[in-house]
Amino acid sequence: MVRLIGAELFKLRKRLMTRVLLYVLIGILIILYLLLLAVSNVVIPAHGAQVLGEIQNLLGLPMAIPFALSILSSFGAVMAVILLASSMGNEYNWRTIRTVLICSESRFKLLGAKLISAGILIFFGLLIGVVAGFIMSLITTAIGGYAFNFDFVTGNYIWDQFLQFWRTFFVLMPYVLLGFLFSIVGRSAMPGISLGIGIFFLESIITTFMVLAGGWIANIPDYLLYFNVRSITSMASLPGEFNAGMAFGNGGIQLPSPTHAFITLAIYGVAFLVLAFYLFRKRDVTA
Amino acid sequence: MAQQTTSKPQSTPIKETDIILRTTGLTKHFGKLEAVKNLNLELHRGEVFGFLGPNGAGKSTTVGMILGLIAPTAGKIEVFGLELSKHRWQILRRVGAIIEEPAFYPYLSGWDNLEALARALGGITRTKITEVLERVNLLDRAQDRYDHYSMGMKQRLGIASTLLRDPELIILDEPTSGLDPAGTKEVRDLIPQLAHESRAVFLCSHLLHEVELVCDRVAIIKQGVMIANAPVQELLTQGQLIQIKVDDAVQASAILKNLPWIKSVKAENGYLIIDAPPNSASQVNKALAEHNIFVSELTSRNASLESVFLQLTGGDSGG
Repeated sequence: MVRLIGAELFKLRKRLMTRVLLYVLIGILIILYLLLLAVSNVVIPAHGAQVLGEIQNLLGLPMAIPFALSILSSFGAVMAVILLASSMGNEYNWRTIRTVLICSESRFKLLGAKLISAGILIFFGLLIGVVAGFIMSLITTAIGGYAFNFDFVTGNYIWDQFLQFWRTFFVLMPYVLLGFLFSIVGRSAMPGISLGIGIFFLESIITTFMVLAGGWIANIPDYLLYFNVRSITSMASLPGEFNAGMAFGNGGIQLPSPTHAFITLAIYGVAFLVLAFYLFRKRDVTA
Repeated sequence: MAQQTTSKPQSTPIKETDIILRTTGLTKHFGKLEAVKNLNLELHRGEVFGFLGPNGAGKSTTVGMILGLIAPTAGKIEVFGLELSKHRWQILRRVGAIIEEPAFYPYLSGWDNLEALARALGGITRTKITEVLERVNLLDRAQDRYDHYSMGMKQRLGIASTLLRDPELIILDEPTSGLDPAGTKEVRDLIPQLAHESRAVFLCSHLLHEVELVCDRVAIIKQGVMIANAPVQELLTQGQLIQIKVDDAVQASAILKNLPWIKSVKAENGYLIIDAPPNSASQVNKALAEHNIFVSELTSRNASLESVFLQLTGGDSGG
């Protein structure tokens, strides 16, 4: 298993796309910070001082890590889905699946190695994203002429950010595993990437309509991914308007409790994982 | 060709430990399609075994089952005396294979592709990678990206990958496809050498002439059923033709066609070509002499594997 993980990491590390995904993620963080910095100097007539204050607050150092994690929970999910779905699906596209299977102790271990190696890279991707966010916050603090005050760095703060880091990692998993599953079902990277990302974006629209429909339909989103992900990312304690990552605010929607969200997302994750392993184990690998 | 192996004498008993691969009643159904039916094969150490059949005959399915990629519907596969279904990894770590065509990561160099495989397999040194690349004459292009390789280079990298783990069984599917004449000769020379190193080579090829040159024994399958399995020389003898020259070819042809043990008679360049059982030349001569037709020339003509193949498969294209 360790050998297979080493081989998978070697292939991912050598692949240009892995680096491109990381650069894109860091690029998005830089652009967002610069945009917020630009907006923070403009008085918005409709919402005025309150929103302006929240933006300036967001650019401040205490909010750097939670804000970066919030961004990573949305854009990071897209990158993570692409990473894992292509890692699995391209084995079919390049017809290397038979070669790797012949070199693998078992199909279970091969899938396990792929998941663990992608997990390791996602972990480092998040870590680099957090560092990039913090550096951008330092830069915008300097450019904006705000005070460099590190009094917020307490034991509680570090613990909160540590927990939020793992919460972010956790909420990525259902989408990543969904992409992984569909790359196996479709024997290609494309179904995994398109369905993983498609569901990530489409679900937010569909659930909004479900809530608007009212009645029992309005309760369905509590058992889908999006509301549960938002419930967990909301624990970052960002300023109100930015509490749900790029969703910008809850819009008065009642989100499920964090416990409900954890259980629901865990069930989805395990279901996608079990299905992926089951299908891969049973399947004949032909041309 | 450098070293062509010879057929094992029929009388030499095969030791159980020399049986590298054995399939018993191997069967595979894809839905209603019976891709492989009750296939019984045996491959011995030091042997180059040709596996032939028309397109869609079930060759790739058989190879897939031997490599644990396709689950058999029925039957048993034993490799190195171990049952594949129970000892998959112990077996596969001693097997090198290219299936249908070499497949590698296009963004990696030849070297990195082998290194990725070496890392997955474990216990393979950089020296070994150098050694196998050198053996297939690819060391000087080892750092080039795989997607920049010619078809011949891809094939050679494929062969290098099969040698990484010092396999005792090598499965090669069309190993000379895309190679230039020099490359084809190199690979053709390499295959018997590999078998001489106490390995067994299982070779699927479209090129029947190539199979005839390098294989000790061949099996031919058609629509999933094995229709021949014999040493190459034996198959060629079975397909031996008799060539005669007579004054009255028309009458001679009519006489011979009436004999029940003669399969066919055809005229070709002033000769009659007779498809008759092996060692029947004297009987042909006698039959004609009884009708006062005297043979002025009589020679045996070896059939090619191609003609035997076409005869057995009913003219289907090889593959």
